[in-house]
Amino acid sequence: MKPKVAFFDFTSCEGCQLDALNVEAELLDLLAAVDIVNFREVKTEREDNYDIAFIEGSISRESEIPRLKKIRDQAKVLVALGACACIGGVNCLKNFLPMDEALRIVYKDDAKYYDTMPVRPISAVVPVDYYVRGCPINTNEFLKVVRALLLGKKPEISNYPVCVECKMAGNVCAFEKGMFCLGPVIRAGCNAICITSGRYCWGCRGLVDDPNVDSEKEILQKYGLTVDQVMERFKLFNAYQEVAK
Amino acid sequence: MQKGSVLIVDDEPIVRESIRDWLRDAGYQVATAESGEEALEMIEKQDFSVMVVDIRLPGQTGISVLKEVKAQRPWIKSLIITAYPSAETVSEATKLGAVDYLIKPVVPDELERLVRETLGAMGREPTVTTKLEAQPKPPVVEVVKVKKSFVITRGSLKSLVENLTKEIEVVGVKSRDNKYVYDRIASFDELCLDYDVTVTPPTKYLMPAKETLLKFKVGDKPRVEPVIEDIPRVIIGVHPYDIKAIELLDEAFLATNPDPNYSTRRQNTIIIGVDCLNPSPKSFAPGMGTHLTETGFDLLLTDIGTAYMVTVGSEEGADLLAKYAQVREPIGDEIAKQKAVRDEALAKYELSLDVPRERLPRLLEDSYDDPYWESRSRTCLSCGSCVMVCPTCFCFDVQDEVSLNLKEGERSRIKDGCMLVDFARVATGENFRHDKASRFRHRIYRKGKYILERYGRFGCVGCGRCAIACLAEIASPVEAFNAIAEAARVKEEAKRLVKEVRPETELYAPRFAELVRVGELTPREKVFEFRFKGGKGLGHRPGQFVEVSVMGIGEAPISISSSPTRDGTFQLAIRNVGNVTKALHALGKGAIVGIRGPFGNGFPLETLQGKDVLLIAGGIGLFPLRSLIQYVIDNRGSFGRVILLFGARSPAERLFLDELALWSQSPEIEFHETVDKGDESWKGHVGVITTLIPKIQIDPKKTMAVVVGPPIMYRFVIGELKKKEIPDENIIMSLERRMKCGVGKCGHCQINGVYVCQEGPVFTLAQLRDLREAV
Repeated sequence: MKPKVAFFDFTSCEGCQLDALNVEAELLDLLAAVDIVNFREVKTEREDNYDIAFIEGSISRESEIPRLKKIRDQAKVLVALGACACIGGVNCLKNFLPMDEALRIVYKDDAKYYDTMPVRPISAVVPVDYYVRGCPINTNEFLKVVRALLLGKKPEISNYPVCVECKMAGNVCAFEKGMFCLGPVIRAGCNAICITSGRYCWGCRGLVDDPNVDSEKEILQKYGLTVDQVMERFKLFNAYQEVAK
Repeated sequence: MQKGSVLIVDDEPIVRESIRDWLRDAGYQVATAESGEEALEMIEKQDFSVMVVDIRLPGQTGISVLKEVKAQRPWIKSLIITAYPSAETVSEATKLGAVDYLIKPVVPDELERLVRETLGAMGREPTVTTKLEAQPKPPVVEVVKVKKSFVITRGSLKSLVENLTKEIEVVGVKSRDNKYVYDRIASFDELCLDYDVTVTPPTKYLMPAKETLLKFKVGDKPRVEPVIEDIPRVIIGVHPYDIKAIELLDEAFLATNPDPNYSTRRQNTIIIGVDCLNPSPKSFAPGMGTHLTETGFDLLLTDIGTAYMVTVGSEEGADLLAKYAQVREPIGDEIAKQKAVRDEALAKYELSLDVPRERLPRLLEDSYDDPYWESRSRTCLSCGSCVMVCPTCFCFDVQDEVSLNLKEGERSRIKDGCMLVDFARVATGENFRHDKASRFRHRIYRKGKYILERYGRFGCVGCGRCAIACLAEIASPVEAFNAIAEAARVKEEAKRLVKEVRPETELYAPRFAELVRVGELTPREKVFEFRFKGGKGLGHRPGQFVEVSVMGIGEAPISISSSPTRDGTFQLAIRNVGNVTKALHALGKGAIVGIRGPFGNGFPLETLQGKDVLLIAGGIGLFPLRSLIQYVIDNRGSFGRVILLFGARSPAERLFLDELALWSQSPEIEFHETVDKGDESWKGHVGVITTLIPKIQIDPKKTMAVVVGPPIMYRFVIGELKKKEIPDENIIMSLERRMKCGVGKCGHCQINGVYVCQEGPVFTLAQLRDLREAV
């Protein structure tokens, strides 16, 4: 019996769920291994009987909460897909504004037709079994989680920082190239793709379980960022965790 | 005496000229030619007895010169010299009349002997070809002997490398982002042989960050198949410390349970090392004995400026030179030059290990509980950078991955490290090295102790990569080693003290004093006046304290309330709050109590002299401050303005009423008093003590403020004083702490690293700013 899989999106750009199917060589194998029964982006038929739910997006409206809870009740396994679902992501930048101001900025005169609330990751609303992190997700990691779920084992997702994979890649440290990098506290799994490509880590995969954020902030300041600039760095993807502290 | 005439034909000036000089010295008439063409020209004009000719010549080769000579001057006996002997060349040369051959580098004595024998044989033996055939020379490998050093030109080294790139994967050090990395190289020009250190070590070619160990089939009939990579590879430019690291890996992966993946790679890897002449500022290789190496390489280069010295470390290295390079014996000062550049490099290291490395295991053994591990690891990010760039860190994780069809998969090993949070976590959730300090310590112990004890080599080669990679700047093993060595040295000195010290047997034994007067201040507070037997003074300074004993009850630290200017007796004002004070409150005149002290630093009278003094006492803060107030009044001429502020919670809690009245009337001091909460009887100022401060005018440049009161008072009073712009150095406070021993031993009074009973209880605000536990 192939497991029935569903994809759902909340507040997000829907890029992660598309990336989940952007697996080229393995797409046919994937479709052979699971039944996709609910996936708005790829098919019109829908079935509300599924085993595994992949959730993209963060929660930013009251109306999203009961919908998410219903999915949780149905799914045997619930997997957060992408930065918005896992850690709140860039959507949480809104949380630094008064909600009515945020509405007005986005919708101008039509603001009165909409409601909103401070943004949160889905784990703030329902229990989450597994996380596929990143903005966007790393498709290899997505497949790794799928394969683990098919086997009935817990996916081995790294709980160490980006530095590990960055050093494995043989990169010169972004700090040594005059950049400011969140790699030392952000969870690996991306193969340090940004640093390998000549940039630095923005933190899209969220913090490791036991991050030494204080030390990272000291280091960013030592290398020349102001306290405000340090906070800006953390806020881009990790505002929810930083504010919740 | 002319023994005979010799013509030397060689394109290398150094060879040509040195042979010329040897033979001239031996008494021969010698001419030289740079090329075959030139040699034939000379032979046309002049006769020679013997020709010494190099086989490999630019233009006309040695063989074709031999042909010409055999045709034109068959009586000339030829000796050939070559760095590239082969059976073919030798047999061809002898057919063309060559008498014998010599292999470069040529040894003077041997050459002279051959020339002499050749000349001696002339006219007697028609040919020595049979002799050559009867006694064949040893084969090629004799050219460059293992453990010997030769000189190789940059040009020859280049051709060696370029030839290698055509035949085998060549990895070398390249520049990237202003740093150096190991990477594939396609040509010699990409190679950096003068570099400080690479970002990651060459050991990644022996143990990749990730590699497949097994391929497997899943299911009822599982099968496994080992996966072993065997790509022949040359690594060029390996520094001695990295060579030493590879020797450690060999020990760990080859000596017991030989690792198939490692050993296959290792056997397929040729290592061409290079001496590190410009070390990284973070390197401490000499401390670990790894800045030079005599083993572990196939070839080792030393840049001696004009060329490279090349030391042959193995048969494989010798073969490489024989096959692709021209080398010669070092001459003149070249050997000395190699030593000189190595010595210069040694002087460039900025870091040193402060103890002989042999002592490290024992030092670490004794430092397991040192506070260093906790304090130094505070800023550790657990990012693993230190272990990921380490050439001696070889720990790994093993994971299975299956394909989506769930039928087959691969088991891989992935580089892992003990500094990562989950390294020692087991399935039940328990983490056996859950805190940063224990992980930090474990890594340093591996570097300086565990690995050494297990494999006989240090787990650190002093490359300094971890120190470069560590953003928190805590990873350098040499720093940890030196820190624990220093701590041990201090301990050692303390031990030496043990033998020299004369014990103060009375350190903990009180002297006895008689209670001569008791005065009640409030229902809770009394003032006690004591006198030592014989009227001997206490010998204290204002602001010091004593330990007061009621034998059987205990001992308590009490500040001295009277000034030494009123000696003969001394006064202790005491609130009834604990066992000892309760017992004291029960005593009457004539009672005997124990006194130890005085202890502590007291108020800085020397600093206060000549200044305006602003004295602020809150509640029973007046008890210690009174000693200073009395002192100032008794030495009134030594001070400028004297302003005294006193605050009590209520009129009923005012202390030393007589003295308060005296001070309020004295023209010598400006006295202001307040109570937090008044009553019907109170006519004075009401409000907390801080409300008095704005009322007074002071000159912040010449005012010293002395503040004593309950902890809560300090913060607010300091705020007001800062508004008056009194600098931190001029604000003096006396702190209350639990001083059990008074002599800097028991530890109760410690504020961060400071013992209040020794360095205190009086501090300036400037001192306290650095003591985060203080206020």
